[in-house]
Amino acid sequence: MATSAPSAGGPGQGSSAGASAAGVAPPAVELRGITKRFPGVVANRDIELRVRRGEVHAIVGENGAGKSTLMKTLYGMHRPDEGQILLDGREVHFRSPADAIAAGIGMVHQHFMLADNFTVLENIILGSEPTKGGRLDRAGARRRIGELSDKYALGLEPDVLVEDLGVGDRQRVEIAKVLYRGATTLILDEPTAVLVPQEVDELFGNLNELKREGLTVIFISHKLDEVRRVADSITVIRRGTTVGQADPRTTSVKQLAEMMVGSELPTPETRTSTVRDAVVLQLTDVTVADPVGRPLVNDVDLTVREGEVVGIAGVEGNGQAELVDAIMGLRPLAAGRITLGDEDITCATTRARREAGIGFIPEDRHRQGMLLDAPLWENRVLGHQTRPPAAKGWFIDRRGARTDTERIMRQYDVRAPGPDTLAVALSGGNQQKLIVGREMSAGPRLLIAAHPTRGVDVGAQAVIWELLKDARAEGMGIVLVSADLDELIGLSDTLHVMLRGGLVATVDPRRVTPEELGGYMTGAHTVGAA
Amino acid sequence: MSPILRRTGLALLGPVLAIVVALVISAGVIALIGENPLTALEVMLDLGDTPSQQTQSIVVILNRAVPLFLAGLAVSIAFRMGLFNIGVEGQYRLAAILAAAVGGAVALPGPLHVLVIVAVAVVVGAVWAGIVGVLKVTRGVSEVISSIMLNFIALGLASYLLTGPLRGSEEGASIVTTTPIPESGWFPGLNGLLTGLGLAEPRSQLYGFLLVAVVVGIAVAVLLKRTRFGFDLRASGLSPSAASASGVDARRMVLKTMLLSGAVAGLIGMPDLLGSTHVYGTQFTGGLGFLGIAVALLGRNSPVGIALAALLFAFLDRAALPLQFADIPSSVVTIIQGTIVLAVVIANEVARRLTLRSAERAGARPVAPGGGSAGATGRGNPPPSDDGPPDTTGDRTGVRQEVQR
Repeated sequence: MATSAPSAGGPGQGSSAGASAAGVAPPAVELRGITKRFPGVVANRDIELRVRRGEVHAIVGENGAGKSTLMKTLYGMHRPDEGQILLDGREVHFRSPADAIAAGIGMVHQHFMLADNFTVLENIILGSEPTKGGRLDRAGARRRIGELSDKYALGLEPDVLVEDLGVGDRQRVEIAKVLYRGATTLILDEPTAVLVPQEVDELFGNLNELKREGLTVIFISHKLDEVRRVADSITVIRRGTTVGQADPRTTSVKQLAEMMVGSELPTPETRTSTVRDAVVLQLTDVTVADPVGRPLVNDVDLTVREGEVVGIAGVEGNGQAELVDAIMGLRPLAAGRITLGDEDITCATTRARREAGIGFIPEDRHRQGMLLDAPLWENRVLGHQTRPPAAKGWFIDRRGARTDTERIMRQYDVRAPGPDTLAVALSGGNQQKLIVGREMSAGPRLLIAAHPTRGVDVGAQAVIWELLKDARAEGMGIVLVSADLDELIGLSDTLHVMLRGGLVATVDPRRVTPEELGGYMTGAHTVGAA
Repeated sequence: MSPILRRTGLALLGPVLAIVVALVISAGVIALIGENPLTALEVMLDLGDTPSQQTQSIVVILNRAVPLFLAGLAVSIAFRMGLFNIGVEGQYRLAAILAAAVGGAVALPGPLHVLVIVAVAVVVGAVWAGIVGVLKVTRGVSEVISSIMLNFIALGLASYLLTGPLRGSEEGASIVTTTPIPESGWFPGLNGLLTGLGLAEPRSQLYGFLLVAVVVGIAVAVLLKRTRFGFDLRASGLSPSAASASGVDARRMVLKTMLLSGAVAGLIGMPDLLGSTHVYGTQFTGGLGFLGIAVALLGRNSPVGIALAALLFAFLDRAALPLQFADIPSSVVTIIQGTIVLAVVIANEVARRLTLRSAERAGARPVAPGGGSAGATGRGNPPPSDDGPPDTTGDRTGVRQEVQR
């Protein structure tokens, strides 16, 4: 143990791991002075981390603070330049994730890595299939999965296809997959990013089960209130190094945030209404159907005025994505009409809509918002190919685009070496700031913002919220689709709830609580009151 | 400067690695069949004894490189947007026979005659490739499947036309050809240029179409790199979903790209047709479409790279005959070309990963120690004391601050 540590670690460990005869059990995971350099930058520096066996330990920090680098080190995806990794007091050297798995460390990634057309059972055993006489031992696998499911209350149904599962269930499959490989320490990377409050509660229930069975959970997040609810202890990372430990019982969200970013925690709240009379976007009876003819968006009427933020709440997969696609012209309408200002754009192409003044922050920036293998300036051009400063006649204005990219990088605090850097090299928050900056630069009348702060750290979140507020004050109409209920409640002037393709409720964002909203989203509440 | 050098270095790494690996494997094969690899190499590098022979060899290489370059270019245009146009073979063969037939049937003043022939070839190539595009856009047929199928149809159609309606040679002649194109439809050679440079007069003419190929190469490079159309095309190749979200009409883009790729493919047969054979016949050069795929791969879809790859392939092709004279099987050339293609696929992937890794490192992750931090001075988040010892938060109740290092 490090020379300075005992005062902090000693008594705490003794009490929690009291069963061990010696009194002081070594921590389940201990990192000492971990430093990881990449040419020109130090991603992690002097990281100190102690995680006791059987606790939920949260690691919080801004995006780009070095959480991912640290977890990659712990999961054996690269080797640290300095420092030691100790598991149960023994030093280990991981050459690959396989070594980490063998040592009992498992990782649940933020983006699920499941084969949709496989069953739960097949997904869990994929990669470590049990065999019996050279054949797949399904019965054995089923038995073990049943045991796991009972032991940790995961509620797994082995024969259901993963494509039929909801997000929360998929996450449980991911967890089961890691447990199946014998993990005793689980790393969960931003596990709540994709969940609604009710699902978050279930997840936390599962985590408590894991804890009760003596497993150790490392929980990466930047949602501080959740961290405070679930974690037994918290380590804060800022700018590549650990800045301290905090006790969730006695530390407020505000204090945590200050440790994390070194400044006040921003709030999304906007209270003075800037809503004007002029309608920017009008959807009338809009219906979008899947190839079979089943409605994905059902008869939606929506009005967005200048200076108004219209929020759309809903559990993911209830037609929000399709609604956004319909407004952007990425999906044909089965019925209905869309007007932008006085213009009927029902049949306009995506490009025509963009030129007419719609800005778009897509929900999945990697899929729809960026060319990852292209430099930043080409990403500035994307979506604005036909307009200055990105284009000059039939040609791309390379110099104009580069200059404007530099402006966006300065103005929107995109941290990157220069406009020729490949987009893939940027952290999520910086990519998102570039996208927001790009879309704002064209001065749109209407902004479609789908999950604008998803996977973005507190600092970038504040910047983006601030930008949305400024845009709203200048009279931009904004459609805000989000899974972050605080964000929806804080930013929206009007808040609709979407369930199974339809707008089922309109609530007053000034009065509604996240719990109530969650009720509407899952269909537990029905309209009546609102 | 150095990042640019580094990037170019990485771009070259793949092909060079592939060529080296291919040469090593081929040397092994030559040794296995009981010949000396070094002798083979010597034969391949020997361009001839007299100055005239040497220029002749250069002309042969260049004349072969021109159609290979055009073929690589045609394939690469589709590649750039993620389409695999395997149908270049059929496109250029059909274009060549129809262009030859039209050229033999009309009599026009010089340049116009050539222009008409080339125009016919371009249109036919584009139309044939356009079928692939239409099928993909309207029926969702994979372009790989339909272009392979259309190759068979094109070759069959060309044979039928050659032996039937478009036959110009005598009945019963051993070589069946179309009606020869009159001299007004020939493309002048460039031998004047060679002798002007002080080189010996070669036996055959250097194709004047070389200049056209250079112009087409530059035009395609500018089109892809500098124009809005090129941006849309490349964006579609990098990420179809991001491209359509940005307003690119994916279906129209597929069609346009296939038409363009086919139009360039139509040109592939022109150097031979206008420069030496003047007829389309049973002996017309085949297989260029497939070689074009290899050339585009080796050239990593960049026009300059494709030009170099075409020259390399042409150089290897020329060596086939001298190798036979030296009692070494000429299939050595095919083996080298084949292994290059295999190696290049692997090497490109390795180079791609290296590029990606170096890009990820270049993108400054968090900030280097010692404060300063050029990029992080934005929104006033980082307080001045950021890198110093932990600040006042230590006093606060419940916040346990551990002093690092």
